[in-house]
Order: sequence, then C-alpha cells, then structure tokens
Amino acid sequence: MDYRERWELKEYQSEQRLGRRAILLHVVIVCVITGFLGMFWYLQIVKGTDYALLAENNRLRRIAMPPTRGVVLDRHDEVLASTRPALNLVLVREGLTDADAQLKRLEGVLNIPYDVLKARLTAMRTRPTFEPLVIKEDVHLGEIAKVEARREWFPSVEVEQTALRDYPDGPAVAHAVGYVGEVGETQLAKITDGSLQQGDIVGRTGVERQYDDTLRGRRGWKLQTVNSLGRPFGTSQPGREPEDGLPLQLTIDKGMQRKLVEALASEVGSGIFMNPKTGEVLALASTPGYDPNVFTAPVSRTTWTALINDPNHPLNDRAISSFYAPGSTFKVLMSIVGLETGAITPSTTVYCGGSVMVYNRRFVCWKKEGHGTVDVHRALVHSCNVFYYLLGRKVGIDNITKYAKMFGIGELSGIDIPGESRGNPPSAEWKQRVHKEPWYPGDTISVSIGQGLLAVTPVQMATMISAVANGGTLVRPHLARNASAPPARLDVSAGTLALIRDALADVVEEGTATRAQLGPIRVAGKTGTAQVFKKSVGVDADKQPKAERDHAWFIGYAPADNPEVAFAIVIEHGGHGGTTAAPVARQVLEVYFGDRLPKKEEAPELQAKAEARPEERRAQTSAAR
Amino acid sequence: MLRRRLLDRLDVPTIAAALALAAVGMTAIASATSQQPGKSGLWTTQLAWLGIASIAAIVVIAVDYHVWAEFSLSLHGVAVALLTGVLLFGKAVGGNKSWLAIGPVTFQPSEFAKWTTCLAVASFLAKRVHDRIRFVQGLQLAALIGVPMLLIAKQPDMGTALTFVPISLAAVLLGGLRWRVVAVAFIAVGLLAPMGWKHLKPYQKERILIVVEPDRDPSGVGYQVRQSKIAVGSGRLTGKGLFKGTQTRLNFLPAQHTDFVLAVIAEELGFIGAAGVLALLYYLLYRGLLAARSSQDRLGTYLSLLVVSWLMGQAAINIGMVVGLMPTIGVPLPFLSYGGTALIAVSCGVGLIANVRGRRFVN
Repeated sequence: MDYRERWELKEYQSEQRLGRRAILLHVVIVCVITGFLGMFWYLQIVKGTDYALLAENNRLRRIAMPPTRGVVLDRHDEVLASTRPALNLVLVREGLTDADAQLKRLEGVLNIPYDVLKARLTAMRTRPTFEPLVIKEDVHLGEIAKVEARREWFPSVEVEQTALRDYPDGPAVAHAVGYVGEVGETQLAKITDGSLQQGDIVGRTGVERQYDDTLRGRRGWKLQTVNSLGRPFGTSQPGREPEDGLPLQLTIDKGMQRKLVEALASEVGSGIFMNPKTGEVLALASTPGYDPNVFTAPVSRTTWTALINDPNHPLNDRAISSFYAPGSTFKVLMSIVGLETGAITPSTTVYCGGSVMVYNRRFVCWKKEGHGTVDVHRALVHSCNVFYYLLGRKVGIDNITKYAKMFGIGELSGIDIPGESRGNPPSAEWKQRVHKEPWYPGDTISVSIGQGLLAVTPVQMATMISAVANGGTLVRPHLARNASAPPARLDVSAGTLALIRDALADVVEEGTATRAQLGPIRVAGKTGTAQVFKKSVGVDADKQPKAERDHAWFIGYAPADNPEVAFAIVIEHGGHGGTTAAPVARQVLEVYFGDRLPKKEEAPELQAKAEARPEERRAQTSAAR
Repeated sequence: MLRRRLLDRLDVPTIAAALALAAVGMTAIASATSQQPGKSGLWTTQLAWLGIASIAAIVVIAVDYHVWAEFSLSLHGVAVALLTGVLLFGKAVGGNKSWLAIGPVTFQPSEFAKWTTCLAVASFLAKRVHDRIRFVQGLQLAALIGVPMLLIAKQPDMGTALTFVPISLAAVLLGGLRWRVVAVAFIAVGLLAPMGWKHLKPYQKERILIVVEPDRDPSGVGYQVRQSKIAVGSGRLTGKGLFKGTQTRLNFLPAQHTDFVLAVIAEELGFIGAAGVLALLYYLLYRGLLAARSSQDRLGTYLSLLVVSWLMGQAAINIGMVVGLMPTIGVPLPFLSYGGTALIAVSCGVGLIANVRGRRFVN
C-alpha cells in the first residue's frame, strides 16, 4: 500500500466513523423527540381531563351574591330595621400611579386626612390589586358631587354600590332590635356547613342575633371568569340565586318604644312594657343607649373604645342583663307568700312604730314615726317595712324561695333576645353554694323588704307583676310576634291575687306612686327603692350625691281592673321609685292609652309634646271623633 | 450569475420547515399577547424580526461556508469580545445583564456566540489530521466553547450557558473521544455536582427541586411549571381553539409568548398541534442530518451536525421546561419563541445547513 492508498483508507475509515457518529446523533434526536411526544401524550391524552378541570378551576371563581337581610317591623308594620342601598367612594388600585397626589387632593375636598388614607393604602399592599381601597363608606350625594366636579383630579376614584343595614330610629330601638356586623372568627369557626363565610353580615345582639337565621337569608353565587389576578373578566355564569331573608314582625310598639327611650333619656336605667296576658313585649329600652347604625359600617376603633369604656356601659341591655335588689317591689311577692301559706289573713294586723327588734337587732321602717296599725292592704299601699319584717320571720326563707321561683324570680324569663341574666334567687341553697356560708335568720329579714341577698332583672319583675295582673299565669316575654310560648298556670288562689291587685291600685291612687296616675285609666303598681348604701334609709334622696342614691323601681300594670300593659322600670340611683320611675311609666302608658284619654288642657307641656308626635295627634283626633 | 446559481441550489425544504415553525410561533405569539395591554402588536414586531433574520440567513447562505470557516476564529473572537463588553457595559433586563446596546439597537451577543461557536468548532475539527481528541485538542476545544459559555454564565444567564452543553457534547462525540475518557469525565462531573449545587442560588435550587417534586410550592417557584402543565394538559387532543386558551389569555401562564410559547400551542391546538410542532422540528433537524451526510467535505458535515446539536439541545431544554421535565430556565424555543436576536441566530444556523446542502456537489 502506498502512501496515497493508506491516506485514502484512513480517510475512508474516518468518514465511516463520522457517519456512525452522525447516526448516533440521529438516534438521540429521534429518542428525545419521541420522548417528548410521549410526554405530551401523557399530559394531554392520559391526564387531559384532570388538567382541563384544573384549568376550569383556575378560570372560574365563585362570586358570592349576598342576600338582602329581612326587614324588622313593629306590631303596626312600622319599619324598625331595613336594608338600604349605600354608596362607597373607592380608590381603584389597578393602574394607580399618582396615589399620593390623588390622596392629597382628597384631603382637600373631603377632609379625610392624607396620613390615614395612605396608611390604609399601604396596609392593602398584599391584597390583590383588583380590590379597591374604600376611601369613605356611605358617602352622601354632596360628597360625590364634590369629587365628580373635579373628575380630572381623581382618575382612580370610583363610586361603588353596597347595601347597609338601616335603623331609622337609631338609638330608640338599639337594645330591642340589636345591631349587625361582619361575622366574627369564633362564630365562623363553629360553622361547618358553609352557611357563613368571611365577610358575611350577621346579627350581633338583640333580635337581629336571636332571629339571625330567619333574617339573614341564604347566600347565592355566580361563576365568574377571572384572570390570574382574580379580576372579573367577560361574562358570568349563573350559579344559585341568593335567597333574601324573611321579614320579622315584632310585638314592639314603635310609639311606646320611642317614648320610653325619651322618658329614660336623661337617666341610667331601663324599662320593659308587655302584654301581661300574652307576654308580647311592647317596649324594651335601656339607657344610655347607642346608635346601632354605627355598627353597620366597620366600627372605627375610637367609636368602639368609647362605647366599651363608657362607665355607664351603653352596650349592656339593662332590661334583661342587669340585676338589682328589688326593694319594696318585692313586697308584692311577700304578700302573696304570706296569704298563700296562711301566715297571715287579710285581716291580720301589725303595729308599726317606726322600727322593730327582730333577732336582737333593730330593723327600721322608712317612716320614722311609724305607720301605726297596718293590715296587709295598708302595708302594701304605704310600703310598711315593719309589717314585712315580721311576715318574713314568720314564713321563713324556704317559703320565700318557693314562691319567688314560682313567679320567675332568679329564673330566666326566656325572653327571645340573647344575654339574659338569672340574677340571684333569695335562697339558703344559693348562699351556701356561692358565699359558702349558712343562711342566717337575719338574712330573711332583709330579703323580706327586697334587700340583701337577692337580685332581680327588670324583665323578671315585669313577668312577676304580669302574673299578678293576669290572675296567676306566668307568661314568657317575647319580641317576635310568632314566638309565644304556652303560659304556665300558677298554684295561687284567685282571692289572694285579687287582694293584691286591689292594694296595688291604691298605691297609685293614694300611696307612694301617685305620679303614675293617668286620668280615667286606673293604674296599679308598686314602687321600690333599692338601697345602694345602708345609711340611705330614711335620708332624703335629693340631699344625697347621685352615686349614693338608691335605685328607683316602679312595677305595675294598667288598667287596674282589666290589665292590658304590665311594666317594670328601674332607674339607677334614681332615689325614690315614686318620684323618678313612676312618671316614666305614666308617659309611656299615655302613648298606649292615647285615644282613651281626654284632651289634656291642664297639662300644656304634654299638649306641646303631642303636637310633635304624629301618631299621638292621630290618636287624639280619633278620640275626638 | 451568482444569484442564478444560488437560487438553483437553494435548500427549499429546509428553509420551508424553518419558515413554517416561525409562522406557527407568530400565530401563538399573536394569540398569547392579544389580551395583554400594550403587547397585542408583538407578533408584527416578530414578523419584522423574521424579515431581518431572513436577510441575515441569505447572507450566510450566499457566502461559501469555507469562507465562513476561514474567518471563524475572527468571528468567534468578535463574539467573545462582545460578551466581555456585555459584562462591562451591558444592559440588565429582568435580572440578567445580557443585552448590549449599540445606538438604538439592542441585542444579545450570547445568541451570536452560539453561532460562532458552532462555526469555530467545526472548522477546528475539520482542519486537524487525527480524528481522535487528544489532550491538547481537548484543551483547545474547551477554550473555544468554554470561554463564551463562562462569560454568559457570568451574566448570569444560566439558560443560555446551558445550551452550550449540547454543543460541547456534540463536539466531543463528533471529534472522537476515547470511551475511557468519557467515562472518567462522567465520574468527575458526578463527583463535582454536589459542590456545584452549593454554588447555586436558592431560587435556582428550587427550580431544580420542582422537577423532582412537581407539587412543591405551587404558588411560588412551582407556579410556572404547574400552570404550564395545566395549559398543556388542558389542551387535550384537539385543543381549545386558536385564541381561546384560558390559561394563556387570562394570564395564568407567565412568559407565554417567549419561553412558554409551546404551552400556548399545546393548549390551543392540543396534542395535534404539539405533535405537529415536534414533527416540523424533527424534519428541520433531519434536513440538517441529510446535509451532513451529503456534504462535499468533513467541514460541511461537522458544521451541519453541530448546528443540528445546538438546535436540538436548545429545543430539548425548552420543551423539557414546558412539560415539567427540566428546571425553569430562560431558553427560547428555536423559531417559535418571541425574541429578535434569538430568531436571527437560529436563522443563521439553519443558513449554514442550507449553505452546506446547497454546495454538496464539488464544482
């Protein structure tokens, strides 16, 4: 082989090798491309349905459609709570470049501090950009006009429509109707069926909470195509229509409710008016109150702190959750105990000399000079303490406990708003359990005049006096018209109750509650003065500092012979029940009996007030007819 | 005269395959960007780039590849100089400093470097006497490929640097390396890999871990891979229809018109569309292999095979990323992804194939 041949052979072998390497490369290419083909087959044909579902879930979002909350009406179909459309001013954050400039201009136009808005905008940084910043909720048209007039200043400011709960009477219905707010974390955690979700509006107190399920309705949803930022895109598909909440009719009488709040306005206290035969609550108020409308929009920290830290606790519903010593109003029950156990008869008399020694201790009557010889009728009318000290000693604590419980004292009344307190029943068992002390006979003496170891709520006293008024039936107070419960017949003789009713009518006629008199409508009742400080016995209330004054009670019903309204009123540190609580009852009863009362020429100030009240004016014209 | 001969010898099937891929890409870009504010006209920009790329390819085809080989080292030198320039004066886009601005024109020298690397390696391999890589040759090859690769890795554009791996593997395969050496090299890489792992940035590690563990961090690093797979998978057999892909049009899929353009095609045209693209790609590469086999000399063979390896490697990295088999690294799909410099570079690459094919008969 010469050089040329060898070179050619080598060249040939080299070509061969290169050719083989090219084929290897070809094989690699075919393998890789076939592999990818297999991968596409796997993803698109084998797993295609799964991925298609994932793509759908990506694309479609359930958008909640809130239901309209049911309207709350009073017994005459007047609106107590409804839902109204509202407008929010919002700052659209998508494509927002000159936020600072726009926010500064807003400060000038709407008086919202720039710092506040800026801080809230910064706080939203982690939220999806399609969620706008709410500049101001529930703006009025004038504010919108101000912004619209300077449209070119605010390219990112828009008006958004929402719905807000509306309480046209505001503070007047606060404690009866309650308020709504966004559902809290704890409540949300308890819900497992998905009926509630973040941001839903629920009732927080009052009937709004009690009947939340009825009022709230059912959330609907639609399927909305969204982009990867969650921004709605194109059309939506129908899902489920929201089911609006059902209307709720209450037994509340708006006129009486307004008058009760008005009459209590300057005091700290509460009152409840109800039909003694059915338990239908006509008015329920607690003062100081608050405006439930402030809760419909997210409550600002300052408003909330002010309400929480107010020493008078405006959020408390005193009518059902505050408990006090019943004072002399308890003598109504004591009289029943005495007559029913046979400890006394209607003719049993006692001599009151202003004080009495019982168990080696002197117990005083409020009237220093004494009431002289009193029977149960006189003792109740004039609220003689000595009579009841001796009666208490005679019947003993166990009888008192038995009858108190029977009449609902120390028991939940079952009223259909949340937050009711039980109070303290007057009982030896209770003292042993709570105070770890035995019951001393002296304790019974204090309880006999409604002091000492017992505490009752206004609604309990209203229920008790209703049972007296209706002839011995314990009704369940309720606000919702269709919430009546079967009444419980009490084992009390009709004669006993008739005697008590007779005395209670005289209390207003000639006794301690003459300020509750209402012309031709005879009112019956019993005042009470619950001691806050021991020394207050026999001291003139007006000479005491307000915080040391007694709590004033007035419980009763009207008309005396055929009761239609029963009530319990308590005014904290109000002094004598007859002085402060009785006039409140009279004012509210005036509204109830408006068309049965003659025109009051002798009371010009009432006439003037009546001019301002359209429903009273109506009542008066119908009376004139 | 020259023009006549050029037209006679024009490798029409290869050019047609490349243009077909570019057309599919442009449609996908138009669909992917139609709902994106300010980007809806992007496909026309790509069309303009295709015009420029065609002119560049014609220039590459017109000049005999032996002449290109003659100047390969100088061209490669220019590429390396430009890459050095990028590190010194480059313009950063999306964290990577890979752009160079000359007047109003900005371009990525790294794309140009891929082309010159193929050219330089091919002419180096063709010129030598022995057809086995010995130590010195190995060093020379390593320098030719390694210098631009390291400069690109320094930008740091790991994706583009990675496309040099298939080129160097092809160079070693075609140049001829003893199997012993190959085995030793693999063991060395295997041993060094854990060290290299430590040098990776956390986000790079995450992207590699996603491949092993697809459900990792679905809203973070895993998001893109997951959304890409959803886009591909939800296309099923026939796709959702052109301009109807929800993943694409609602923006769930990021970078849909650049690196993930194949996901758009797979979503809107289904398995048929994806398989079609793979078929076209295979046909283009097959034309390259054909040019290599029929080449008049070894230079032509090397040149064609290297360009084929480059395109195949880059496509494999991109497609692997789209179907979740490769970590997410920015590598465009040849001819389909949006991007001017990349399109010009691959067109010049295919131009070399057509050049070799057109000059297969010795005059």
